Amino acid sequence: MSTTILLGPQRFTTTVGSTVRSLDINGRIAMVNSGWEERESDDGELAGHLDGRGVNLRLHHRMLDVLGKDEQVAAAALAFRDRMDELRAFYGIRLQAAIDAVQAVSHRTSIHAVGPVAEEAAIEAVRDVDRWYAAQLDELYRAVRATAAPDENGTIGWHRGEIGAVLDEVEAVVIAGGNVRTLLWTLRFFDVTLRPEQTVVAWSAGAMALTDEVILFHDFSPQGVTAAEVHDRGLGRLPGIIALPHAKRRLHLDDRDRMSVLARRFAEHRLLLLDDGAVVRFPDGATDLPAGARVIDRAGHVSVVGAA
Amino acid sequence: MSAMERLAVNRLRERLPLDGPTIDRFVERYGCPIIEGERATFLYRGDVDEVWVRHRVIGLPDPLPLKRIGDSDLWAVTTVLPEGSRVEYQIEIRKGEHYERFNDPLNPRLAHSPMGSSSVCAAIGYRVPEWAVFDPEAREGTLVEEQVRSKALRRDQPVQIYLPARFNRAQRYPLLVVHDGTDYLQFAAMKTVLDNLIHRLDIDPLVAVFVPPRDRLKEYPNHAPHARFIARELVPLLTERLPLVDTPEARCLMGSSFGGIAALSTAVRYPGFFGSLLLQSASLVFTDIGFDHGGGPAFDPVVKFVNRFREKPTAVVDRIFMSCGVYEPLITPNRSMVPVFRHTGMRVRYTESRDGHNWENWRDRLGDGLSWLFPGPQKFVYE
Repeated sequence: MSTTILLGPQRFTTTVGSTVRSLDINGRIAMVNSGWEERESDDGELAGHLDGRGVNLRLHHRMLDVLGKDEQVAAAALAFRDRMDELRAFYGIRLQAAIDAVQAVSHRTSIHAVGPVAEEAAIEAVRDVDRWYAAQLDELYRAVRATAAPDENGTIGWHRGEIGAVLDEVEAVVIAGGNVRTLLWTLRFFDVTLRPEQTVVAWSAGAMALTDEVILFHDFSPQGVTAAEVHDRGLGRLPGIIALPHAKRRLHLDDRDRMSVLARRFAEHRLLLLDDGAVVRFPDGATDLPAGARVIDRAGHVSVVGAA
Repeated sequence: MSAMERLAVNRLRERLPLDGPTIDRFVERYGCPIIEGERATFLYRGDVDEVWVRHRVIGLPDPLPLKRIGDSDLWAVTTVLPEGSRVEYQIEIRKGEHYERFNDPLNPRLAHSPMGSSSVCAAIGYRVPEWAVFDPEAREGTLVEEQVRSKALRRDQPVQIYLPARFNRAQRYPLLVVHDGTDYLQFAAMKTVLDNLIHRLDIDPLVAVFVPPRDRLKEYPNHAPHARFIARELVPLLTERLPLVDTPEARCLMGSSFGGIAALSTAVRYPGFFGSLLLQSASLVFTDIGFDHGGGPAFDPVVKFVNRFREKPTAVVDRIFMSCGVYEPLITPNRSMVPVFRHTGMRVRYTESRDGHNWENWRDRLGDGLSWLFPGPQKFVYE
């Protein structure tokens, strides 16, 4: 097993170039930036950071090509998206109600020690909504696979072949940020599988895609569901971690009660903060958080792994 | 020294008598109106017998008379103008028996509407929202003009269909139906607003259809053929031709003033077909006893409709975004209808602004309204 490195956002503090140069990589490097959507081809700056060794998998471009040429796949993709949108709408309604209950319970005065018990039960109710959504999503994927087996001889098969050939020959893969929904969708659409021996460097949405549970969050978003939302399963290369890019800009880190609810809600995961300048290394197939990584603990504090 | 004495116009008064060059320099330096803290001083210069500011702000004298400064040809009046306010006004003069109204010749800032133009007085703290101004970075959607054959209206109805940037038939879009559509495009910069809000991820990409009326006073206050055209002809046609989300939650009707009544009455006639309403300064005039509403004959069908709704309020959509300016006469009816709507179980978000019954007020509220009704994909993007 090789190394996985998660970086902070690259827009203002660019570390991908120095990170890749610090690794013993001599061959080509696959670039996945389909989260940039229609800007996917504007990859000159990223390729420059990789010293010209980058080869773009162009997953977004390929997806549009397939959807434009294969009516059956396009119809199936649209049907899937319709069902997922509907599922997300119902999940949002249930989640908001469950989160509102946590807020109400936690603000109620408790004289006889019922409060903490009620709060834990309210958080468990939120977990139950999350589990329901995840189960429904799994069922949706199962149904899609059962009804629309991919035509490996068609356009999508041709693209999968090309992507697989590139992945077979590259030494490392970098996965950029952007729209995490689009990124995951394109990875899943072409059944992209990262080779265990390949080094992977990822940031922002790319970092989220490497985990097993992708959580959407934006405490400052003016509208919509106010709580973090389970979105989808990631590639699972880093299980047990929830990646939180731009945490300072997107989370009320000073609101300990709110952060505590977040950490306790996802108690089986470590909540990893990935702010500007962060470099978190997982060498030799490791999946435990290394010393120095910043996380949100169950008390809602930002703590550093390995700190006394 | 009191606050009033420190106003620029009061400092000028201390220099009486005033000669022409002194007034020239004063006007050149301060412009008009002069905004000092939460006070606005309006000026007029000319050889007239009387001058007023005509503004239609509820709570202030209208007309607001200006007083001559000394024996000069400069007239002035100072009024309170709270932070964030925006007022549209004109100057009226009397010279002998002759009255005349026009935009403030000392103020280059204008607002436009189907009725013409007005001068604009923006108080301290008022800013045009960034998303209301053309942004060259925002990808532009396209407007397609069409004629839709309507049996209900017995005519070809022109519409303009907005398709968002990167419109893609492999995706589905919510639908926004805009009453007074041409005016929203022309006077509320609505295409620019949609382009910008979508670009900034504040709202989901959506399809909007802009529908102008032919006989507004007849078709907008609870008119069956209009409602039938919208719900039974236009929406089904668009749903057939475009990749729209075919659920009530994804269909929104919007309008301002009488257009707000058109939106609400269409939803009332087809309950459950639309998921949301965006009502801006809707003409929700009603009476609690008798029928003396004071709005003139044009409001008779409006009052009948609103009175009937208030007698038996029902949930006709899931969500309503309402906005109204606190300086307009419709503020009380709008405030009064919020609990009526909420009581039915409809979710209502209501905002007020320090503005009047005008298109720029409605433009400025679009960000709040549209982002609540069509939340954007901010949560999905991690650059």
